[in-house]
Order: sequence, then C-alpha cells, then structure tokens
Amino acid sequence: MSENTELTPEAAVRAVMQDILGLDEAQVAAFTAETELFGALPELDSMAVAGLLTELEDRLDIMIEDDEVDGELFETFGNLVAFAEMKAAE
Amino acid sequence: MTARLDYSSYQFQGHDELCLQVGAIHAKTILIIPPLFDEMNRMRRMLVDMMRLLAEHGIGSILPDLPGTNESLFPQEQASLKIWRQALATCSETLSEPHHIASFRGGCLIDDFNDDAKKWRLSPAKGLTLLRTMMRTRMASDKEAGLSTDMAQLVAEAKQGQVDLAGNSIGHTLFAELEDALPAQSDSVRTVQLENNTKQADVRIAGSALWLRAEPGDDMLLSGAIATDLAAWVSA
Repeated sequence: MSENTELTPEAAVRAVMQDILGLDEAQVAAFTAETELFGALPELDSMAVAGLLTELEDRLDIMIEDDEVDGELFETFGNLVAFAEMKAAE
Repeated sequence: MTARLDYSSYQFQGHDELCLQVGAIHAKTILIIPPLFDEMNRMRRMLVDMMRLLAEHGIGSILPDLPGTNESLFPQEQASLKIWRQALATCSETLSEPHHIASFRGGCLIDDFNDDAKKWRLSPAKGLTLLRTMMRTRMASDKEAGLSTDMAQLVAEAKQGQVDLAGNSIGHTLFAELEDALPAQSDSVRTVQLENNTKQADVRIAGSALWLRAEPGDDMLLSGAIATDLAAWVSA
C-alpha cells in the first residue's frame, strides 16, 4: 500500500487543473506563472471554479474562506499557485 | 460490447427503486454504489460501460438507484446517508446476496451496511468535500443572478429544514451527516485512485476524473481499467 506522498502546492494546482479541465499532462505542464486562466480558458467557468477550490482544499488539506476568493486569484496560473503556497504554509 | 442491460427493482418504504443489471446469469455479482449528487450523472455512462466489460470477464453487476436519486420517486429532501444504507441493505437482500461491493466517490460513505462484504473504492470522497462544492456552485449561480450568498447563510438555511444546492434538495439530516461523513475504516477495503492523485491507494489507474468535469462524459480506458481490477479482485 502506497502512503500519501508529499505534494507541492504547485503540483496540486497543476493536477487539479488537469482533472477539471480535461487537459493532458503536457498541456498543463506548459502552464507558466503568466498563463491566463479565467476568461482565457472557456472550460474554466464559475461552476468549474467551485470544484477547483474544493479539490485544492482536499489535496492540500487546507480550508479556503469565501472572502479569500476574488477575481484576481484566477487571473493567472501564477496567482493561483502563489495563493495555494500561501495557504499550505499557514 | 454486446452484454444486455436488464432492469429490476427493489421495494423501499413504499417506493419501487430501479436497478440496472448486467450479466445476471454469472455466479458472482458486484453491487455497485454510485457517486452521489451531480457526480453520479457525470459518471453513469462510465459505470455502465464498466458493467458491460465486467460481464465479458464473467462477472455480473447491479447498479441500484438510491432513494431520491435518478429515477426514484422517494422525496429527495427526506433522503439521508442512513436511509441510503438501509436501502442498499434491502436491495442486496431482495435481489441477490453480493459479497463484493464496489463504490465510487461519495458512494464510499454508505458502503458500510454489510460488514461481511468485501469493499472496493474508487477515489473515496469526504462528505464535507461534496457539500462545499455544492455550496460553492450555489453561491456562483446566486452571484450570476445578482444575489450575494455566503457559506454561513447556506449552513444556517440547512439547519432550519432544507437547502437547495446545485439542483439538489438537501434535508437537514443529510446536511448534518455529510458535514462529518468519512468512508468507514475497514480491513477488507481495496482503495483505488487515479494516477495523478497522491492520496493513499492500493493501486493507481490511468483515467479521467470524470466527476470533476462540467459535463457527463465517458472514458473507455477508465471503464476497462476498473473492470480488469474488479475482476481480479473478485476472483482473488
């Protein structure tokens, strides 16, 4: 039985984006800090964001409060990773 | 895939609940517990493909409706994890006596109605995870309608009777159960995760996380990988 291995916040964000948007590994691996998300990826609508936040909570064992979520968070991949890193360090 | 789909039903609290069955002639039957809420719709096609592939391995399977879900006429707001466990126990008594139970996502929260059965789980979900996604979906649709709702309001609404979340009427009992529900610990559980998930698992398989997608879909590779793993597990 394999144990829960340590997952970096960035790896968790990539894995969740891949699962939610149905992208392949290479597409998600090509995301950089500047990659635009909300508005640029049609699959990432407000409903997908609901699933994305909960999946991040689940995989990183964090809790995200309503007031921490704003439009800026989903502007770029870099913003989302920085947020995940900040939450994981709390 | 030529395996035929059969339909049967079980009686629960005055309602006839539908079951989908494949390969009833086979000696071994797996009881399938579907994911809960929206995730069930997104994964149903994959589950039915998987059931047909299981029949090719010489294994039967049965997929019951839980009261208040799918075709069920049971009042949705009266459903609860306890009622779903009772319904599954009734279903397994009246139709067959499966010693193997395969559950998916939220279905893993209610597979503990029969201690003697062997359990197989795909990506078990916590109740709170399902609840928070549904609350966020409700908040997003409220926002698009010009309303501002927060999670605390929805929790308060649920405690007073019921709350509508992402197309589901969730009664206060089910809401309270989901807040704390975790898959039951057991020695005879085989846990399966997708490859890119680092959570504890006995085996990882390739496939798409269909339950996270915006629309229902299929994934024959996933259906095939699950059927192969289930067939080996049942025969072990």
